[in-house]
Amino acid sequence: MRTARRILVALGLLPVWAPAAHASPCALRRVSGVIETVRAFVVQQITQAPDKPKPSTLEPAPAGGASVDLSDLSRPEVIERALRSALPAPGPDSRVTVPNGQARLGEFTIGSAETLTGHLLVIKGDANVYGHLLGNLVTLDGDVRVHRGAVVSGDILALHGDVRDEGGEIGGEVRTLSVPMTPAGSGDALSPLALVGRSVAGAVGVFLTMLALGVGLVTFARPNLEVVSDTVSHSFGRSFVTGLIGQILILPTFGMLVVGLVLSVAGILLLPFAVVVYGLLAILGVVGGYLAVAHAIGETYTRRRMAQGAALVSPNSYRYVGVGLVGLFVLWAAWALFGWVPVAGEIVRGAAVLVTWLLATVGFGAALLSRAGVRESFAGRLIPPEALTDEYLWATPQFGVPAVRRPEAGPGTRPGTRHDPGR
Amino acid sequence: MRAAGLCVALLCWAGALPAQTMRPFTTFRQLHGENRLAARLEFAAGRLRVVPGTVTELYRMTLAYDADRFVPLSRYDAPENAATLGVEPVGGPGLRVVSRHQLQQDAVVLLSPQPDLTLDVSLGAVEADLDLGGLRLTELRLEAGASRSVVRFSQPNAVRCRTADISAGAAEVSILKIGNSRCDQVRIEGGIGRMTLDFGGAWTGSQRAELSLAVTELRLRLPRQAGVRITMDRFLASFEPTGLVRRGNVWETPGYEQADRRLDLALKTTVGGVRIDWTN
Repeated sequence: MRTARRILVALGLLPVWAPAAHASPCALRRVSGVIETVRAFVVQQITQAPDKPKPSTLEPAPAGGASVDLSDLSRPEVIERALRSALPAPGPDSRVTVPNGQARLGEFTIGSAETLTGHLLVIKGDANVYGHLLGNLVTLDGDVRVHRGAVVSGDILALHGDVRDEGGEIGGEVRTLSVPMTPAGSGDALSPLALVGRSVAGAVGVFLTMLALGVGLVTFARPNLEVVSDTVSHSFGRSFVTGLIGQILILPTFGMLVVGLVLSVAGILLLPFAVVVYGLLAILGVVGGYLAVAHAIGETYTRRRMAQGAALVSPNSYRYVGVGLVGLFVLWAAWALFGWVPVAGEIVRGAAVLVTWLLATVGFGAALLSRAGVRESFAGRLIPPEALTDEYLWATPQFGVPAVRRPEAGPGTRPGTRHDPGR
Repeated sequence: MRAAGLCVALLCWAGALPAQTMRPFTTFRQLHGENRLAARLEFAAGRLRVVPGTVTELYRMTLAYDADRFVPLSRYDAPENAATLGVEPVGGPGLRVVSRHQLQQDAVVLLSPQPDLTLDVSLGAVEADLDLGGLRLTELRLEAGASRSVVRFSQPNAVRCRTADISAGAAEVSILKIGNSRCDQVRIEGGIGRMTLDFGGAWTGSQRAELSLAVTELRLRLPRQAGVRITMDRFLASFEPTGLVRRGNVWETPGYEQADRRLDLALKTTVGGVRIDWTN
């Protein structure tokens, strides 16, 4: 209640001072200073003042006890760590040794006629310097004010505080290390539910895109897709090694292509097209290979189910690609659902990335091995297609059929009729 | 059951992990009559701005850094008048992946216009804006790394600068109003990227620049008032010599010999392009 009244009084005073602002720039500065003072006063009254300990001297720790060396302040984070370690809960009973210096708890002032020799550590309080300090000055959870006429011969470090140079002389360097800011982006941080929704939407979007590409590939390039898929199934390891080598060589090959084209006039003209085509082929190899892996997974799964007696409506390539993609996206679905969990989410994402890369490499390698589904050498099709017919059983022997001796013509037969064995 | 309990415990522990934090750090040093300063700025990732400071402070740096991966650099060697400012990565050397979070680091460095300044800047994945106009720059060395850097001399340099050495990796570097720099010699080495050299500004003498570039798109902005001579050594590089007359490997402006202020460019470029714009 008292605080509220003070605020009202302070706000009521503002209009009284405000008209003076029209006088001159000097008056404006003065008025703004007054307003700033009032604002600081109001803020001080309405905010909860931290518990400031009663000023006291912190006695040196016994031998082997806590000690903080303040002779080098160039690594503020190291000093901060040392202080936090030496004084986890600073209080009047705390003990800390400052080599060649002293430690104080609470507010501390060096009077204008005083000269303090050695380093000074002030914990949980402001350090006001009016006189001379021949050494370094460190505050933890407090500000430093170097007033007009004051001298600090060494460095100043304010940990979680501020340094106000009000006209004093500071021989060394001044550093302030503030408390960490709110993590960047935390203001618009999404809730876990929103994160899950976003991740699921992303995963579903990618899945549908891949599904559409797969349907297109089955529709327009089914034989090639099947050959690449069979290559994945029958030459998995070989495909992986080929894909790995292909990934390594993709950039050098591109460089050689560019250099080779640049060396000739016609090549320079072709260069833009070659670059685009090369890029498209590389993307097609990776995406098509990945879809072929999905096809292979889906085919294997479907055949196993059918072998177990399941009655499936349409066991064809469309189904294989769809089933395979669902299988491949299970890990990404897990990431979409649990990706927001700090460590587990990262692990799941890493696993999903690793598996996706592995299978994309295999698919890329299979696409290279099979020359985009043209070559069947590694597809496990050891019997040539023409061998899968029984026509050879009916083939005419190479040297003809031995003729049968014409029977003697009897009285009841005529040459040229169905019963004539010579035909 | 045990496994489930372990998983729950792991997740609870993981949930308690602190998020990445940006930490404010400020450092400055009062000017106590120093007449020279050797400043070295090291900045691995983020945004860096360098501007002239006040006459009462030798330097000041205001920094927000990623406390999980970097520590602030703030050292001063009084006998040598040498200051080192910036951030350095925690841990030893090795391959580092710069995340988007680290790129949010931000530093503003103010350098006093009073002492003679030797400036050595080393940048990593940085977006840098260095306004060196109005300082007393005697020597400049810039390693641009993989940065997008703009070096500008918005006002004439107060003293004569001996050399400016600039090297860029895969970077986009713009140096504006080089005429204000009063550097006798400018040496530039460029890797893959784009470079803009603006030789405008208040010229007080002739300048010489040596450029060695590879896979770089170079844009030269040349003042019409100056006599310009470009000695070109190029391989697979295009060159648009607008407004220049060729004499063998040398291109020069028609009134080069009679010009009061001359700019000599020795340009060596491989796989790239050189474009010239004339400015008033």
